[in-house]
Amino acid sequence: MSGKVSFQILTYGVVCLAILLLPIVVDDAFLLNKYSRYLVSGMLAIALSLSWGYAGILNLGQATTFGLGSYCMAMYLKLKTVPIHTGSDGLPDFMVWNNVTELPWIWVPFHSTAFALAAGILVPALFAALLGWFMFGGRVTGVYAAIITLAVMVVVNLIIIDQQSYTGGFNGLTDLAQFELFGFEFDAYSASTYYLVAIGLTISLFLSLAVTRSKTGLILQAVRDQEERVRFFGYDVALYKTFVFAFSAAIAGFAGMFYTIVMEFASPTFLGVPLSLSIVIWVAVGGRQSLLGAMLGALLVTGVQGALSESETFLETWTLIMGALFVLIVLFLPKGLAGAFSALIDRLAPASRAPISQAVENSPKAEAHIGGAA
Amino acid sequence: MDFIVSQILTGLSLSSILLLVALGLAVIYGVTGVINLAHGEFVMLGAYGAWLLQTQLGLGLIVSLIPIFLLVAALGWVIEVVVIRHLYDRPLDTILATWGLGVMIQQIVRLTAGGELRYVQMPPSLSGSVNILGATDSAYRLFVLGVALAMFCLIWVIYRYTSFGLKLRAITQNSGIASCFGINSALAYRVTFAFGAGVAGLAGALISPLKSVSPEMGTTYVVDAFMVVVLGGVQSLLGTLASSGLLGEISGVLAYYSNDTIAKALVLLAIVIIIRFRPQGLFAPRVRA
Repeated sequence: MSGKVSFQILTYGVVCLAILLLPIVVDDAFLLNKYSRYLVSGMLAIALSLSWGYAGILNLGQATTFGLGSYCMAMYLKLKTVPIHTGSDGLPDFMVWNNVTELPWIWVPFHSTAFALAAGILVPALFAALLGWFMFGGRVTGVYAAIITLAVMVVVNLIIIDQQSYTGGFNGLTDLAQFELFGFEFDAYSASTYYLVAIGLTISLFLSLAVTRSKTGLILQAVRDQEERVRFFGYDVALYKTFVFAFSAAIAGFAGMFYTIVMEFASPTFLGVPLSLSIVIWVAVGGRQSLLGAMLGALLVTGVQGALSESETFLETWTLIMGALFVLIVLFLPKGLAGAFSALIDRLAPASRAPISQAVENSPKAEAHIGGAA
Repeated sequence: MDFIVSQILTGLSLSSILLLVALGLAVIYGVTGVINLAHGEFVMLGAYGAWLLQTQLGLGLIVSLIPIFLLVAALGWVIEVVVIRHLYDRPLDTILATWGLGVMIQQIVRLTAGGELRYVQMPPSLSGSVNILGATDSAYRLFVLGVALAMFCLIWVIYRYTSFGLKLRAITQNSGIASCFGINSALAYRVTFAFGAGVAGLAGALISPLKSVSPEMGTTYVVDAFMVVVLGGVQSLLGTLASSGLLGEISGVLAYYSNDTIAKALVLLAIVIIIRFRPQGLFAPRVRA
């Protein structure tokens, strides 16, 4: 078993190292910016894999916490912009247009770097913790949890669009300063930003791996397969689910902060239904029960999409192919490419690991019945 | 007085659209347990059907309702055979598969009919307005309300008073035992799915003159319709009627006092809270499981 763990850590390490070393081969600032965006989607996929793959919480609103993190970073960078883009006393330009005379109180603490960086992770995490406590405390599961996360995302999105004078409304926050840390400036179109995102990705991946490998991770997987039984053993199921929900939100918020740095703006589309559902696709393609699989699934899908986006007609057809691919994967590969891959390995080396994986393979899926039982 | 009447009429008009869109979803969800996220796309296809028949063949809207119903129902039949029937024991995966199907349908429409907004003419005989208790309302909106209620009654009668409806009720209560009694539940599911899709197409055709027709139009409807169904209670047709009435009127009133965006946010928030405390819906029937 320990051999398997160290093999896993090794694989994860090799992939992260390959990602970190990429700028040695690629020297195009534009391409690096594009790749940084793919890495951010990889982080989002890790976040969803944690809650969906490991705890069985299908979060259709993963983009909510991503957007919150992204807005925290954007508010901080907006306040840092050079005075041409701001009103008197450094008031952001869109506030001047909306006749706001004084910096609103939620904006004030974002002058501080430390506060902004902490907020980008803690605000999404607290938001998710509250929502998780609200849902799981009431034993809302499965489809209903999915619908609640979706509805909450639409609500947050509508509020951001509506409160134009505080959030920039439909246009989002644009004209941001470049991110600066310890006197070093991260240009969105440079290797430095790419390294920053790649390090963020590595941290997220290994932290998540640590969670799934811990006792908590084991209990979460038990909750996914047989929630009732875990409850009868005396575990506080709601607490565990809330924890993983908040942890996944923290990673999504972390990813959101990087996304603002890379894109140089934040917009309400970051909290949109299309993005949320794309995350679900990435994770389903890669394999929801493997952090690395989910991440690579995101890199693969966004990468192909990005390569085809040069031509308009290709992109249109790509969306169609994507939809078809997704349906096929749901039908035939419920565990995604990672599941297919490990099944292949098992077939090639049946003696070494068949007993364990077989047992997992055959464990009954949660007997969710919507039809008759209520 | 006429202010109150016109406010109620505005709400009723919103309600009738909600009811039309939600009925198909309620039927599918209630009987098969499938959460059909492609439902909005069925609505969109119905609207495009109306546009196509009107611009290409010069057919009036009312004449085209039946062919549209049949076409979208046929598509629903095919989708059930190809995809859905493999997923009845994996309810969470049906969300994903039907969403993928929705993306495909949307994209096919965009590639063939183009992404620009389309407009459908109202039937000329219904383009006037009617005076009710001092308030005026468009005749077409009243027509839509009438059709929505008629559809509801039709489904109610099928469900309650025909032998097919009896079989459906048996399946929803216990599909295993129903099968033991010789009910072909696979066929019943297929017919239900096709019928629900057809009703969605009909809804799309009926609302097409009121809204602009675009490939993305379905997305908003599927969320709204889903909220109606969940709020009403999954297996309760009357619940769907009541909750669409309730949501329509509330949105109408809230939209009057604040704006559409905030009204929508508040309604969604209320629904979230209701799902949390009453996941079985407001009007859940007592079914022994």
